[in-house]
Amino acid sequence: MTDSITVFNRRAVRRHRDRAARGGGEDSDLLFRESAERLLDRLDDVTRSFPLALEFGCRSGEMGKTLRGRSGIDTLVQCDLSEAMAAQAGGMALAADEEALPFTDAVFDLVIGNLSLHWVNDLPGALIQMRRALKPDGLFLAAMFGGDTLIELRQALAEAEIAEEDGLSPRVSPMAEVRDLGGLLQRAGLALPVVDSETLTVMYPDPMALMADLRAMGETNAAVESRKGFTRPATLAAAAARYSDLFATSDGAIPVTFQIITLTGWAPDASQQQPLQPGSATSRLADALDAEEHPLPDKARPT
Amino acid sequence: MSKRTVDPKLLEILVCPLTKGPLRYDSDADELISEQAGLAFPIRDGIPIMLIDEARTVDSDAPSAT
Repeated sequence: MTDSITVFNRRAVRRHRDRAARGGGEDSDLLFRESAERLLDRLDDVTRSFPLALEFGCRSGEMGKTLRGRSGIDTLVQCDLSEAMAAQAGGMALAADEEALPFTDAVFDLVIGNLSLHWVNDLPGALIQMRRALKPDGLFLAAMFGGDTLIELRQALAEAEIAEEDGLSPRVSPMAEVRDLGGLLQRAGLALPVVDSETLTVMYPDPMALMADLRAMGETNAAVESRKGFTRPATLAAAAARYSDLFATSDGAIPVTFQIITLTGWAPDASQQQPLQPGSATSRLADALDAEEHPLPDKARPT
Repeated sequence: MSKRTVDPKLLEILVCPLTKGPLRYDSDADELISEQAGLAFPIRDGIPIMLIDEARTVDSDAPSAT
């Protein structure tokens, strides 16, 4: 039996990323490039320089190339769970696990990551470690896949598996929801937390092309409870057929949903805006609005 | 043969991922040793492999044992 918090097999995640690093599939990077661009736009909006930055889940250094020299980044440290990916990243790279980060406290001005947190088991723990690695007033900025990602594939695989194998096992990894993540950022001790979500729909020629692409990205299933061994060819074929039946457009292409959640937070610092104590207001809202104030009736209160 | 060496600036900010304690750089073996955890993390081609799975267990009395 696995620990209740261990959802993902981190060794499998590592293996998948190593395999993706060897494949070097340029086409399959489309989604990561799109997400990286959006993340960098966010970074450009911050008028601040970040001399020492950490990029986690750096893959083969694609985002790192654009990060260097941007936003006043003098030194960029890049880490990935996959040694093969870190080796391709170039620059100051290392292999590290987001669940056990090997950095001293309060060193980085920026901690940034593109689409890797969805494979982390202990997300609160990872966020706490990242906050600790930040200097006071340092920025945490990350994009991760959210719960609506691959929603069509999830449905097609579930229906096919029930029909073909008399049972159901997790095929598409469980993912975080926006409503939980704001609380997690706060729990990790990050100030001014912001969580927002964007949905991208990518058209694929057919379901098999999607599955091949997921493999090339190193994003195939790593859930601990997934069935041992490979998915049966009959189940895969049934899932592909079901996917097309349910979602295909008139020309046979299929839509694939990716939900990308962006997390922003700052390591606390005295210079940041602070909430006032309740009851500490010195002027009345009614005066500011030039309105008449009516006290609330107490009737609604339970007795 | 040119071998990539690890950037000293990187070594300055690394700690043991398990204990968050200090690391000792063994340049002969090209390893980062965490005495507290009794683990030696390899450096391969200039890249520190800070994964607990990949670390070698070491005796804290004989840290550079081969």
